[in-house]
Amino acid sequence: MFNEITITAGSAFKVAAAVYGGAFLFALIVLLMRRAYSRTIMFALLCGGFLIQTLALNLRGAEIKACPLGNPFEIAQFLAWSLVLLFFIIGPTFRLRLLGGFTAGLATILSAGSFIIPSWDRAYPLGIFGGNHWIELHAALAIFSYGFFAILSLVSIMFLIQEHGLKTKQFKGIYRYLPSLQQLDLMAERLLLTGVIVLTASLAFGAVFWVSNFELVPVFKLTATCLIWLGYLTVFILRKQKKLVTRRHAIATIALFILAMTSLWPVQSARETETITEGLPTQVER
Amino acid sequence: MSEVLESLFVLGTSHHATPLEVRERFALTQSQALDLQKLLHQHEAIRECLVLNTCNRLEIYGVADCIERVEEIRGLFCDKQNVSEELFSQYAYCHSNLAMLQHLLEVSAGLDSQMVGETEILRQIKQTYAAAHNADCTGKVLNRLFEKSFQAAKDARTQTGITRGQVSIGNVVVDLASRIFGKLNGSRVLLLGSGEVSEKTAQALKSRGVGDITVSSRTFENAHKLAHGLGGAAIHFEDFTAHLEHFDIIICSTAAPKALLHKKVIALTMKQRPERPCFLIDLAMPRDVDPAVEEVENVYLYNLDDLSSIANENLEARKAEIENAREILKKHAWNLWLQLRRRELMLKT
Repeated sequence: MFNEITITAGSAFKVAAAVYGGAFLFALIVLLMRRAYSRTIMFALLCGGFLIQTLALNLRGAEIKACPLGNPFEIAQFLAWSLVLLFFIIGPTFRLRLLGGFTAGLATILSAGSFIIPSWDRAYPLGIFGGNHWIELHAALAIFSYGFFAILSLVSIMFLIQEHGLKTKQFKGIYRYLPSLQQLDLMAERLLLTGVIVLTASLAFGAVFWVSNFELVPVFKLTATCLIWLGYLTVFILRKQKKLVTRRHAIATIALFILAMTSLWPVQSARETETITEGLPTQVER
Repeated sequence: MSEVLESLFVLGTSHHATPLEVRERFALTQSQALDLQKLLHQHEAIRECLVLNTCNRLEIYGVADCIERVEEIRGLFCDKQNVSEELFSQYAYCHSNLAMLQHLLEVSAGLDSQMVGETEILRQIKQTYAAAHNADCTGKVLNRLFEKSFQAAKDARTQTGITRGQVSIGNVVVDLASRIFGKLNGSRVLLLGSGEVSEKTAQALKSRGVGDITVSSRTFENAHKLAHGLGGAAIHFEDFTAHLEHFDIIICSTAAPKALLHKKVIALTMKQRPERPCFLIDLAMPRDVDPAVEEVENVYLYNLDDLSSIANENLEARKAEIENAREILKKHAWNLWLQLRRRELMLKT
């Protein structure tokens, strides 16, 4: 009987989204009861979701024979996966309270939200990266850097909540479990630096292809990506110069992340146009 | 002339009905409170009196010729303090006879305090009573009432759990500082004024790892003495504004009649340390920090009312104990009232 059970990438993505959702609900319920949630349970739930999502991405990668970053659905899933992976690196090291709950929340939005619009998971030509490993590395690193920026925006949201609680003299509930302002601010600085480095590396790898094939690069995609990179770099420089700090820094990083997310769709559309014009072979059936 | 027991009164304002900004208009320095006490005692209508002046309350306890003459005392206070009688009447309360007794016992036991169950008020009442007694402002009636109130407060504390689970100002400040700075090892603290509450707050911060404490007070010797006790340094009061940028936590508890720290000064300070937050704790009455300072980015200002409301968050859990204590004090007040009446009857016969 068990031999008949076949795991598809789609069903694994759904299970992973459900596990992330469960982790988020768990955090929400415990916090509404004005208690701190168990870090072990949160870690175990996120770990479960992450493993299932890894399996799903692996299955999808095997289907398309490339890194699964071919449509908005896959990008959202890869972003959620990067986010949770980064949480596993950052969480135990810096022991930021409630970061697990916030990560679970965003991972749920990204992974479950990507199912809402079915057209996001549209079929696309095989070998979308044209067998060019530099472009594949560029794409993977770019999305991974967005994972850094996603966790940075979570830290910024936590900062703004804590800051609001302190300014309005709130002492109960979520406020008492959030990390300190200084911890969050320091974390935000480190994440911003790492994210900028990873995105710069991604652009550098992409440039290897762009320089030699400039006519194949859609202008909009290049402009949008460079603007996002420039935006984060500017925020980083202003922060180093102490001109954009604490509250304004948090707002800027959240705004930039929203901008980065909204720019992903046009970037994606531009890439699809590009691959179609290149006349790449067969479509993968979903 | 009325009987003594028909002219016991307490006239005052407290944190219950009077907002901080109004309380600071009524606030007196210790010497002003003693002057007022002396002035009232010289008044023909007052036989005995005592002025209790703390951060959260200003109360005049007394024995008058007749209760109607309390209005004259109200006028006397308003004239001296240069506040309108309408404003004072809006926030003031006046209890007489048995109600006055019950009020005094509740105040002594800390039931009427901003942080319910605190013991600091009893020490303040004892000090005030000692000073009034030495100045001959109290007589047979008030002496007996106050001495009995100390006993009643002790009974209420030992027979109930009103002090259990109580959170001190120091603990609240430490929790808030931890929410801002995380570990407090690297935080630098400035004490403005050498008051007892600020000293206790500094000690609470020290116990949580703060190593760098500086004290500044109008009297340099006091600052030096306190700094020595806390293992810190003292700076001259005239110089503290020049050093503000170096401090993460500033605790103010001076007796200055007007605000010492204004928005402009703090905004300038924050320009020099934009990435480091500043936690301002204003324990003074009148306030040492202009409330507009709160608008400066990265500055977190907490005054006495804010800290007390946080400290009283577990009040619901202690409600039953508070009611028990109130019942004990009611019995004490009634017994004391009967004793006083008996004594008066005996004197008459």
